[in-house]
Amino acid sequence: MFKIAIKDLKLISKDKRALILTLALPIALISLFAFAFGGAGGSNDAHPISIFVSDMDSTNTSIDITTKLDTLKSLNIKQLPFQVAKNEVVKGSRVAVLVFYKGFGDSVENGNAPSMELFYDQSRQIESGILRQILYSNLIGMIGQKSIKKNINKMIDESYPDLSQSMLESIHKRVEEQLNRYEDSDNNPVSSSIGLKTTPVFARQEDSNLGLVQAVAGTAIMMLLFTVTGMGAGILHEKEEGTLKKLLCSPIRPNTILFGKMIATIVVSVLQLTVMFVFTWIVFGLDIFIDIPSLVLMIFATAFACAGFGNFIASIAKSRKQVESYSTLIILVMSAIGGSMIPIFIMPAIMQKIAIVSVNYWAIQGFYDIFWRHLPILDVSVRAAVLFGIGLLMIIISVRNFKRNILSIA
Amino acid sequence: MDTILEISNLSKNFGSVQALKNVSLKIKEKEFYGLLGPNGAGKTTTINIISTVLEPDTGNVFINNFNLKKDPVKCKKSIGVVPQEIALYNEFSAYENLMFWGGLYDISTNELKTRIDETLNLLGLKDRGHDKIKSYSGGMKRRINIAAALLHSPKILLMDEPTVGIDPQSRNLIFDVLAILHEKGITIIYTTHYMEEAERLCDRIGIIDHGEIIAEGTLDELRLSHNADESIIFTFSNLSDVKLNQVEEKFHNNIMGSNENSITFSTKNSNKDMPLIISGLGETGLEISNIEIQRANLETIFLNLTGRKLRD
Repeated sequence: MFKIAIKDLKLISKDKRALILTLALPIALISLFAFAFGGAGGSNDAHPISIFVSDMDSTNTSIDITTKLDTLKSLNIKQLPFQVAKNEVVKGSRVAVLVFYKGFGDSVENGNAPSMELFYDQSRQIESGILRQILYSNLIGMIGQKSIKKNINKMIDESYPDLSQSMLESIHKRVEEQLNRYEDSDNNPVSSSIGLKTTPVFARQEDSNLGLVQAVAGTAIMMLLFTVTGMGAGILHEKEEGTLKKLLCSPIRPNTILFGKMIATIVVSVLQLTVMFVFTWIVFGLDIFIDIPSLVLMIFATAFACAGFGNFIASIAKSRKQVESYSTLIILVMSAIGGSMIPIFIMPAIMQKIAIVSVNYWAIQGFYDIFWRHLPILDVSVRAAVLFGIGLLMIIISVRNFKRNILSIA
Repeated sequence: MDTILEISNLSKNFGSVQALKNVSLKIKEKEFYGLLGPNGAGKTTTINIISTVLEPDTGNVFINNFNLKKDPVKCKKSIGVVPQEIALYNEFSAYENLMFWGGLYDISTNELKTRIDETLNLLGLKDRGHDKIKSYSGGMKRRINIAAALLHSPKILLMDEPTVGIDPQSRNLIFDVLAILHEKGITIIYTTHYMEEAERLCDRIGIIDHGEIIAEGTLDELRLSHNADESIIFTFSNLSDVKLNQVEEKFHNNIMGSNENSITFSTKNSNKDMPLIISGLGETGLEISNIEIQRANLETIFLNLTGRKLRD
């Protein structure tokens, strides 16, 4: 028994690549999830939430508040005209746009409900929730205090017209002190009184569910990557079985063999994605008919990119065993950073930037565009174009690698 | 007969290993040519180059008057390759496999179906044509492997050790099929390390060792030109260790081997040497129960040429 165990351990130790992968895979995943959940990688501060500010009022008050918001570490502010900013939020470039309407300054000065509104991306529920908390807790100090103080002082002035000016000034001072104390308190009783109107930038559909879109797109793409990698390894199987050599003896060009295999992979990928979406429609009620042309475009683009990626992994390996090791490592890492396992928007900013190198990211965002953001096909096409580009690049590299590593029979 | 395959000064290195060293061959139309050599001699490398799977470092190959470098597709259409491996898809039936492999050549579907039926019939597998390959025996798979190379009616059939690991019945059936194909006029190039196969099947034989053709000709030409020895096997009814020692003292230069009741002698001329050996054996008191003369074969020729046995 021990002899067998020792023999197996010796065999494992001789396969250095497998040994490295055995150790590297868990280390890579642990590091990745630690970064993704924000428990590692620098300071413990939350990453700033990026929003637009659209100042239609342009008064000292609105400019002053915008400047103060800009100094907050928790916010990253960019000023844009309202319509442009709203379109950008719709496309998912920032979480929300805070609008100061014309008359905002006057309303604050007069103690009326401030004329402002927050338009937010409802697909980024967690971020927009945090944003509202940040705005409530900070705007109260900037707007609420001014407004409430004005109202209280006005009420006192009107109720007690006989009080001397010095007495009134003393009361006003005490009111201000009291409000300052409330501002610093966690139990701020006036936080909801600033009148920040919040509006999602598009209507939420009854039959559309963000979690469902995330689950379908994320899982479908990760599973697809495993499928296509297995298919990409088919050429290594043919080499090991001897059929590749016989194919090379036939009057077809080596490139034809490679492209034939890639076509088969793309067809299976399209089929797999289609089946997954149809399944989700039938079982979970996802409305896949919202925008059929965009869905078809994204399915083809995703299939093409995944097929290219699967072939790429197969092309860097020299045996099917190596493909299994590579694919497990690369696909899990790519799926984690690309948002298949956890939604991108809850990851730290650095991870969100890294995510763009993964096929998963572009595909998931593309499906978000269709099922959640309801963007027109022109906007979806941008994501699709990136996916086609990734696929093409991977195929070019794969063909080069296949010719060098696999078609050399001897 | 015209030359259908010409190889000149073919060399191929794999790193520091020189697999082929200036190999030159001329094979005539309708010829059954055997390339005989031990494992690692360069047989498969030669076949791989002819079948365009490998590129040579130097040298030229002309197949059916087409230059392999300039017209690889025309060359490929002229040859059928039976690789050493069973190059078939196990999950497909024999029929599906043949439809796929035949479909890689410009053959109409109807014509291909007819040819598949004929070929399966020739190979004795028509009744099993729709069974999956994974249900076949090793010998049956080998036959389908051959069938896959015949569908496009090639002028040259390249066979790389096609009988490795199969039962005697299937081997004989394959030999019968090869005889029919040879009779039909297909040029066959056959690599093997089984001398019996080369002796039985081939019109002409090239002996390859360490990447070089070290002898070439018909079996008779090889026997003559390499002055190969014949063997005489004496079987005795009373052979003992003591008597064997006495025989070895008398004939030690001529004894090839012995076992518990027989001694094998080598000789250049069995007719001339036999009486002398019998006389010498008589002096030791051995009683001869049987005498067998074996003519020089490829094994002995290879031994003469290299000092090694073919399967060493």
